[in-house]
Amino acid sequence: MTEKIILKDDFLKICSDLLSKGDTLLAPGQAEYIRIKDISEIILNTSALPPKTSFKSYAFPRSEPLLYYKRGKNDVQIIDINVEGKNIVVIGAKPCDAESLSIMNHLFTWDYEDEFFTARAKHFIVIGLMCSNFDEYCFCTSVGTSPVSEKGSDLFLIPLDENTFAIRIVTEKGNEFLKPYTEFLKDGNEQNSAMITKKVKFPEIAFDKDEVYEWLGNNFESPKWENIGNVCLSCAQCAFACPVCHCFDIVDEDYSYSEGRRMKNWDGCQFGHFTLHASGHNPRDLQSKRYRQRINHKFRYYVDRFGKILCTGCGRCSRGCPVSINIKEIVSNCKD
Amino acid sequence: MEVLRKYASELLEKKAVAAVIGYVRVSDKRTRPAIITNPEDTSSLVFDNYCLNNLSVYLTKARIKALCRTSDKPMKLAITAKPCDVHSIVALIQENQIHRDDIHIISFNCGGVVKDFGLEFSKETLASKCIHCESQKPVYFDKLFGEEKKIPAAEDKQLQKINEIDSMSTEERFEFFKKEFDKCIKCYACRAVCPLCYCQRCITDKTIPCWIESSSHQRGNFSWNIVRAFHLSARCTGCGECERACPMDIPLGLINRTMAIEAKKSFSFVSGRSLEIPTLVGSFDVKDSDELFM
Amino acid sequence: MDKEKWEPKIAAFVCNWCTYTGADLAGTSRIKYPSNTKLIRVMCSGSVDPVFILKAFERGADGVLVSGCHPNDCHYNAGNFHARRRWDFFHKLLDFIGIEKERLQFSWISASEGKKFADVISKITKDIKSLGPFKAYKQMNSEFTVNFPEYNESSNSINKELQ
Repeated sequence: MTEKIILKDDFLKICSDLLSKGDTLLAPGQAEYIRIKDISEIILNTSALPPKTSFKSYAFPRSEPLLYYKRGKNDVQIIDINVEGKNIVVIGAKPCDAESLSIMNHLFTWDYEDEFFTARAKHFIVIGLMCSNFDEYCFCTSVGTSPVSEKGSDLFLIPLDENTFAIRIVTEKGNEFLKPYTEFLKDGNEQNSAMITKKVKFPEIAFDKDEVYEWLGNNFESPKWENIGNVCLSCAQCAFACPVCHCFDIVDEDYSYSEGRRMKNWDGCQFGHFTLHASGHNPRDLQSKRYRQRINHKFRYYVDRFGKILCTGCGRCSRGCPVSINIKEIVSNCKD
Repeated sequence: MEVLRKYASELLEKKAVAAVIGYVRVSDKRTRPAIITNPEDTSSLVFDNYCLNNLSVYLTKARIKALCRTSDKPMKLAITAKPCDVHSIVALIQENQIHRDDIHIISFNCGGVVKDFGLEFSKETLASKCIHCESQKPVYFDKLFGEEKKIPAAEDKQLQKINEIDSMSTEERFEFFKKEFDKCIKCYACRAVCPLCYCQRCITDKTIPCWIESSSHQRGNFSWNIVRAFHLSARCTGCGECERACPMDIPLGLINRTMAIEAKKSFSFVSGRSLEIPTLVGSFDVKDSDELFM
Repeated sequence: MDKEKWEPKIAAFVCNWCTYTGADLAGTSRIKYPSNTKLIRVMCSGSVDPVFILKAFERGADGVLVSGCHPNDCHYNAGNFHARRRWDFFHKLLDFIGIEKERLQFSWISASEGKKFADVISKITKDIKSLGPFKAYKQMNSEFTVNFPEYNESSNSINKELQ
């Protein structure tokens, strides 16, 4: 990993160059990662909390067509969709969001490759930005990442002072990305930026992820699930705001009597009908079972399968929960 | 606060109620609903300006109703309700979802709540429903706590927005709502928190035939939001939970309130105010206006 | 589209006992009326769910008519009274959301009013013709979301291929 130094103005020049090339630029706004139309919209603010939703929807949209069909007299004509990945540059991604695509990538390339996701994901350049703020819902340190973690970023920015950034080149992709702009870069010293990152306050570690893993394996029938299940109202705010939740549903919808499209839509494990079988049987008929599934999937099943926790500790699910269920508190309580 | 805790604990100890549905504090400026069945747990009950949830949503849940049947004789459910939440309870009773005799309403003289958790309570952060609140005292209750309070006066921005939309042209209105509904991600939090969305299976979950597309593209979002608004028109009691729960900040309250205003204007009906009269859409009058019909 | 040549598509949900029979009478009396309207027979105006109307708009209807028995004439005694309140709210809701009032119309037509049926159909056809095609709603069929313009492009090009 090498470190360079770049002036903020020069960095914005790179951004405006990308804009003029027609790349999609995303930057955190209030509610979501917004599409940048003008570089004045880029605010590289380390003290902002994560926006209400992550940028996962740009790789895994909430609703996308998989194919179109048209019924002829004797046959059905299928029109495939070619997903052309366009360059998407995320500027100032929160460290808790930066890793999201690489975590989801495990699932989407697991038993078969989901070309829709991968075609988009491989065109992402994630420029992370150090984070210097946290609230009661943040717990990135508990799931193995941190406010200064470079995981998932291709390039990582650390503000040295108001007008200069240290830019760490984390991946080869990041290196390639910066090649046309070497004129803006000066050699940096890792010790300088380390001085800054050392001063950043981390959220306290709320739970030990290995202990949680163990506990979940032994406490499938714990009465704790029932208590949470009584309060939870079965909406999918937590799943849809989550940067790594990836469940989807496939439905056919018609334009008219003879043509239509097959859609891939977000789905959430907290919905009552998520596991409803055609027979009418529902293996997760109670909210307690559904909530248990959510926690187990994030902190045990995904670890079993891919060796990663399906959570980045951003705290969005808790911040937005209509009934104030705090996932940090629940997982911290996953012990005897 | 202490009197509330003591009262709740006594109710549970006497086995007069199976559970107390109340608020517990989770942090400085945030509370959480809790279903309390153990008298000792009542020590965490609170009531203040941060009790935002409308707890009557729990009354229709099968798992909560089941708590009443845990002992030999069926028991009541106690619920702590703001005066505006009592309106939802009234609407639920009117629609035969619950019986008045099965619930024990613990209410408060209310001084308003904040519009979202984490905000300091002041007239700027007052929830929009409180700004035009006409019911600081509950219409029905079994126990009332607290002294009469005054809600700080604030500008009714919601009404201003409704008037602004009303003065727009049809195309502008369509564009406005198209843009707002486009934000919808179909997490159905609006449905989950609504006490009056108690259907066992929502029409949007029925896919054969698929009346409302589950995709959250413009067409699907438009259908869902219109149908949600229509199913609640003249029923919505204006608790504002849907708007608060919406992660995408869609102004659902604008539509709900407009329909409530229409109900008041055309039928002098306000939902959830009295158990003596039937619901508006569940009844009819032969003398209703025929203006709409050719 | 050429406005002169354009013919609107209108869906009419009519009750089995009055309006549909009234339409029959209009036919047997050889009264002429525009042929833009597709009749969908339902058992009662009270059984028409608002999603039927939204679906009609989604599928390309430019206007919708709901018609039933006159008050007090309902075969099921009170179906049309319930419908009357419901439609009042639905109409106001659609108006607030930004759908022209004339796109959705209501009428009471009895089995003996063949002439009235023809008049109502002529009127709604004229109204919809003067409003023009319901482009705003139809556009949503090809537009995905504001956030993802690239889908709109791909779905537009595929739509063209399909047609």
